[in-house]
Amino acid sequence: MKSAYITVVGNLPVRFDIEQAKKLGPVIASGNTNKSISFDYATANSETNLQDMLNSSSFKHSEVLVPEGLFKKYVFFDGVTCLPDFPGLKSYDIDPEKCSPQTLSLMLSVYLRQTIVFLVGYDISNPTELTRLKSIMVANPNTKFMFICNPPRTYQLDDLANGFCDTFIKFQELIDRAK
Amino acid sequence: MWPAVCRNRSVEILKERPDLVDQMNNFRTKIDNVLKIICRKHFQVDATYMMSGVRLWFQSGQDCYDFIIRQPEFEWEVHPELSVMNTITSQLQTFEIVYTPTGITID
Repeated sequence: MKSAYITVVGNLPVRFDIEQAKKLGPVIASGNTNKSISFDYATANSETNLQDMLNSSSFKHSEVLVPEGLFKKYVFFDGVTCLPDFPGLKSYDIDPEKCSPQTLSLMLSVYLRQTIVFLVGYDISNPTELTRLKSIMVANPNTKFMFICNPPRTYQLDDLANGFCDTFIKFQELIDRAK
Repeated sequence: MWPAVCRNRSVEILKERPDLVDQMNNFRTKIDNVLKIICRKHFQVDATYMMSGVRLWFQSGQDCYDFIIRQPEFEWEVHPELSVMNTITSQLQTFEIVYTPTGITID
């Protein structure tokens, strides 16, 4: 059965047992920041990152999604897949070759049509990243976005009806209930 | 691709030319035997008749690469087109294979 939840691990290193989050649904990694963990999907848009991921044992069973330009160079590598054409990329002013891997992961999570997206280690300190996150949230009103962080919680997403913020403790509780 | 004399033959012509059919069957058998030797993962020789040649499916990209670069060794010609099944979109994406002096690139 298709899961309703998906976890996006952003650009920041995460001190949380992400293996547990897999009990909720698929987990998407962004680049090679957390390469000690194994993920279902991972996104990358730089060749250096991709090469590092292909050579890391933790990404051996991950599906690494890359933009078309990079995919053409690594088409014969097993586990490398081309990112889909995300709808509305131009209106967001997002270039998949240049944006951050966490933005790609976020767009992939929305593309996969899960109803609740958990954002773990997601960097919103950069105003561009925050604006892009909010744009994607506005464009997907039926999807709930749960930003997971350490206390104190952020109020950056409170102005959006489908944006929530909670702590790792609450996230852990949710995982425990799903067991 | 089929041996040159067998390409672009209609079914009517093939009915009249059993020698061509034999050549094509031998060619298919040769491909199948070579794939059994070089492929590390699953492969499939498409049974559908095509005028230009035989379509092959590889589970592994590395096997596909091996097959392409070993053309001179086995004396066959690969149509310069590569299709990849995208597991996220379930679409078949088609690319052109470009031969360069140092290997192949995809356009």
